[in-house]
Order: sequence, then structure tokens, then C-alpha cells
Amino acid sequence: MTFFFFIFAALTLMGGIGVVVNRNPVSSAFSMIISFLGLAALFIQLDAYLVGILQILVYAGAIMVLFLFIIMLLDIPKAEKKRFPVFTLGASIVVVVSFATLMITVITRSDIGSAKLPPIEPVKGTGSSDVHQIGELLFSTYWFPIQVVAVLLLVSTVGVVVLSKRELK
Amino acid sequence: MPVYFLEIIVVTLGLLMLMVDAFAKIEDKRSIAWIGMVGLLVVFGLLFAVKWPESADGAFWQFYSANDQISLFYKGIAVITTIIVLIMAVDFRHIVVAQTADPEKGAHPQSGLGEFFALPVFACAGLMLMASANNLVSIFVSLETVTITFYILVTYLRRNVGSLEAGVKYLILGALSTGFLVYGFAWLFGITGSMQLAEIASSLADPEVNSAAALFAFALILVALAFKVGGAPFHFWIPDVYQGAPTPITAFLSVGSKAAGFIIFLRLIGPFLASDVLAEKICLVLAAIAGITLIMGNLAAMPQKNFKRLLAYSSVAHAGFLLMALASAPTKSAVGSLSPAMVVTFYLGAYLLMTLLVFLVVTTVRNSIAGEEIDSYKGLAKRSPFLAFMLIIAMASLAGIPLTAGFYGKLFVFKMAADQGNWTLLIIGLIGAASGFYYYLKIAVPVFFATSSDDGSGEEISSIPVSAPARVAMIILTVAIIAVGVNPNLIITLFS
Repeated sequence: MTFFFFIFAALTLMGGIGVVVNRNPVSSAFSMIISFLGLAALFIQLDAYLVGILQILVYAGAIMVLFLFIIMLLDIPKAEKKRFPVFTLGASIVVVVSFATLMITVITRSDIGSAKLPPIEPVKGTGSSDVHQIGELLFSTYWFPIQVVAVLLLVSTVGVVVLSKRELK
Repeated sequence: MPVYFLEIIVVTLGLLMLMVDAFAKIEDKRSIAWIGMVGLLVVFGLLFAVKWPESADGAFWQFYSANDQISLFYKGIAVITTIIVLIMAVDFRHIVVAQTADPEKGAHPQSGLGEFFALPVFACAGLMLMASANNLVSIFVSLETVTITFYILVTYLRRNVGSLEAGVKYLILGALSTGFLVYGFAWLFGITGSMQLAEIASSLADPEVNSAAALFAFALILVALAFKVGGAPFHFWIPDVYQGAPTPITAFLSVGSKAAGFIIFLRLIGPFLASDVLAEKICLVLAAIAGITLIMGNLAAMPQKNFKRLLAYSSVAHAGFLLMALASAPTKSAVGSLSPAMVVTFYLGAYLLMTLLVFLVVTTVRNSIAGEEIDSYKGLAKRSPFLAFMLIIAMASLAGIPLTAGFYGKLFVFKMAADQGNWTLLIIGLIGAASGFYYYLKIAVPVFFATSSDDGSGEEISSIPVSAPARVAMIILTVAIIAVGVNPNLIITLFS
């Protein structure tokens, strides 16, 4: 299993790097799809089938198609190749190296794997599939955060309309 | 009345305002703002009628803290800020309309105003929820509700390049900081196996706790929270965003968002400070950040020429003083009967009064004077002695002159640092406060000692009209600043 983990983790990371490195917006969008596929595979490896499938259906499917549509409709030109500023490059290397060192130190100093996580208890009621369990949790234990998210979505819808409407009437 | 009714009422109020805007055929959109103000005043009154539940059983109370007096104070801060932001928004409406809609293309003369009045009410509900959040999940969802509303409001002037630039900067950096926050939460959950702050505290208090991982989680969370409250070195977005955003929204950001950021800060460092292994190191990190913030905020504020930018750096400097109080937290020291959390809360209460007063003046002046440069305040004392007086009171309080609310805020913070023997931080704080006297009070020079006709253009000196609600709000805030400056117990009794 660890073998597959490394393959998919590498795929996710390479997709992520591709998004940043590619100058062509369409290639960036496709790299993002690759990254999402790798991520979905990682979720499925963790037995989180529903999350993995949603990752593909919603993110890699719907959202990325929307992205591509917008890119093509707007006809965004290829970003010009700029000379890489030395300062930015140096600063980002320093940040990445120090963060990586920090993480390696933390992981070697502490045995992360031995931490006891709470067992995921089966939710009462009919059905034993992922969909049932997540659905029941969302609408029983987590009903309150869901309501708050509903307000959040309402606000963002209003915001999108206000900010993007061609002319306010 | 159960405490969660407050948030329900505020969200319903926001929905009502949107509905009125969409379906009622009203000519004057200002009435939407009046609905909001009246509703929020009622909510403010209801804050004093809250009944805490007898038992905290049930799914809901895992996300919302029961029996928590200090959260009511923060809810009050959110409500008052929103009311005054709405007053400012009404005064600011001409600028909003001019920079969002093009009347030549058939736009309604008051288009876009309804949402501009309704969105702050939703942000207010999020801020109130943040004050009561006691679970990583509810902290996250309420924080995002507030931040996403702010992204929209900052960008609201869509025909103004400054506002758009501010919005994009805020969006990208805000999303990055949220990423850090969630990653920190993931580590915290990995160490403790719980989302519940009380359970996290008891896991971290275990002397066998995995301290390297816990400190890493703390560092990630600290990056995100320092970004939200404007602590250095994560404060670079503040000047640009504060300058570009519509002025009422700048006021909202600098008071509401800061207060809510600090209550989350208090709640999240609480569990870490409960652990003897971690407390000392965390105190050191906080002291370092507080020191850098004080230096960066105060020194950068001195050469500023734009008034909103000056206020932005001033808000960074105040974040420094607040972080200084947090850094003194582990010693369990206390000023009289005040715990560090209470000192922070008092400071935020005082900060609310004076910052809102400044922004009320700035918004009112902006209606008559085009610029927001300090130079454009020339001769304000002749044009409107009332506004000049209000401005000076607010600036004196921000600087921390005795007999104003700001004085006691700083005094408590310094006393706490001195009790703890944190001399380096105390000296940095004193230097910061001293430079504050310079940059806050230098505004008095153009206001009192220059006239706008000095530049030879010979323009007529006209008085600046002040709208009635703004006038009432300014008088109330000024009285409060001086009353608290005489007797700080007025605020302290509200939350202890």
C-alpha cells in the first residue's frame, strides 16, 4: 500500500507544480485535474470512498470544466515569460527549505503514527455505506456547522452577483 | 432568552434586508440600512437578557460554548461595530454608487446599495458566532463566513482600481493564511484526537504530550492568526487593503475583524498555555511577535501621508500592544483582579470606541473633501469645529493620553509586562507608545494651524455637513471614551 501512496502522492505534487510552472492557462488547468486525480486516489486508499469520488465528480469534473470554459471564453493569452526576479526566487527557496527542515525535524522527533485517533463509530440507523454514514453525521452531530455554511454560501452568491453583474439595475 | 437566538435574529435580519431590497419597491434604499440599525439595536438590548442553558448536552453545545460571559462582550463589540458601520455606509452611499454603477447605461441611481447595507449584517452574525465558538469546526466555519463577506465588501467599489487591488490582495493572502490555519488544525487533531477545545486542552496538559508536534501545530495556527489580527511579519496586507477598501469597511475590518481574531486567539492559545511543557516556549514566541509588531507598526506609521494608511499602521501597532498582553499570559499574573484575557478584552473595548470615532470623522469629511491625505484636513477646525474636536479626542485616546480610554488600555498592558519582568518588551512598548504621540497628534497641525486657503487657491471655506445619526454616534463615543478614561470599571464590569 505504501508503494501506491508514494505514486499517487508524487502525482498530486507534480500536478501542483505543473499548475504553477505552466505558462499556458489551459495546461495549468489540466495539471490541476491531474493533481485532483492523485488526491482522489489518496482518499480512496484511506477507505474514504465517497470523498474520493466527490473529489473527481465535483472538483476534477464540474469545477475544472467550468474553469476551462472560462479560460476559453475569455481567451486569456499565454502569460509572457518574465525574467525570474532573483530576490523572489531566493526568498522562496529559503522558505521552502526551512519549512521542509522544520517538518522533517518534527516528524522524526515525534512518533506521529502512534497517536490514538478516536475510532469512527458506525452511525445508528439503516444503511452502512459511506454515503449514509456521512449524511447522517452531517445532519445529526454536525447540523450546526452545516447551517453556518449555508449562510456562507448565501453571502458568496450575493457577492458574486453584485461584483460580476455587467450593469446594476 | 437562549443565547443562540441572538445569531438567529441577526441572520434573519440580514435575510429580511435582502428581501426588502429585492421585492419591496422602495425609492430610497437608505431605509434598508435603517431596518438594519434598528434591528441590531434590539439585538444589543437582548444581549442583557441572555439566559444560559442549564445543561450543555446535545450536538449543538459541542460547537457553541455554554455559560461564557466574556463571549457576550465580544458579541456586543460586533453589534456596535456593525451599527456604526451602517451609519457610515449611509453617509458613504454617494461614493459607493459612483464607483459601482454607470448611470449612463441605465443603472438605478441607488443600485448596489441594498447589498452594501445587508452584507455587514451577515458578517456581524459570523463575528458573534466566532465569539462563542468552542470547537475547531465552528471556529473555522464562522471565521470563513466573516472573511468571505469581507472579501466581497473590500472589493465592492468595482469601478475603483484601488478597491479591486485591495480585494485581490486580501483574497489571495487570506486564502493562504486559511490554509495555514487548517493545516495547524489537522496537526492539532492528529495529536489530540479531538476538535473540542476543552478536550484538546486536557490532552495537551498531559506531561507526556508530543511537544514537537504540538509546537508545530501552534506555529501553523499562529501564522494564520497573526495574519488575521495584523501581527508582524504577517501584516503587509493591512496598509494596502485598509487604504483601498471603502472607508466604512476599513472601520469594520479594523475593529470587528480584529476583535474576533483576538477572541479566537485567546481561545486557541488557552489549551497550549494549560500545558507546563509548552507554555514557556509559546510565551517566548508571542513576545517576539509582539516586539516585532510594535516596532514595525509604530515606526512605519510615522512617515505616512495618507490618513487611512496611517490608521492601518496604527491598527498594526495596537495589535502589537494586544499581543504584548497575550505574551504575558503564561505567568498567570494579573493587574488587580484582571487576567490577561480580561486586559485584552478591555483594550479591545477601548480600541472599539476610539477607532470607530476616527472612522466616523473620516467618512463624514470624505463627503466634502475629495482626498484622504493628511494635508486635505487643512483648516478642518475652521470648517467644522465639531469634527475637529471629535478627531482630536479620538487621536488623543489612540495615543493613550490620560483621561481617555486608550490610556488605561496601555497602562494595564504595561503593568502586566512589568509584573512579569518582561523588560525588553516593556521598553519596546514604551518607545512605541511615545512614537504614537508623534504620529497621532501631528494631525492636529493641519487641522488647527493651517487653513485650506493657505495654498493661495482662495477657495471658499465652507462648513462640512454632519448627518444626524453620525453626530449622535460621535457624541456617544466621545462621552464613552472620556467616561472610561475617568473610570475604567465601566467596561470591566461588563465582562467580569
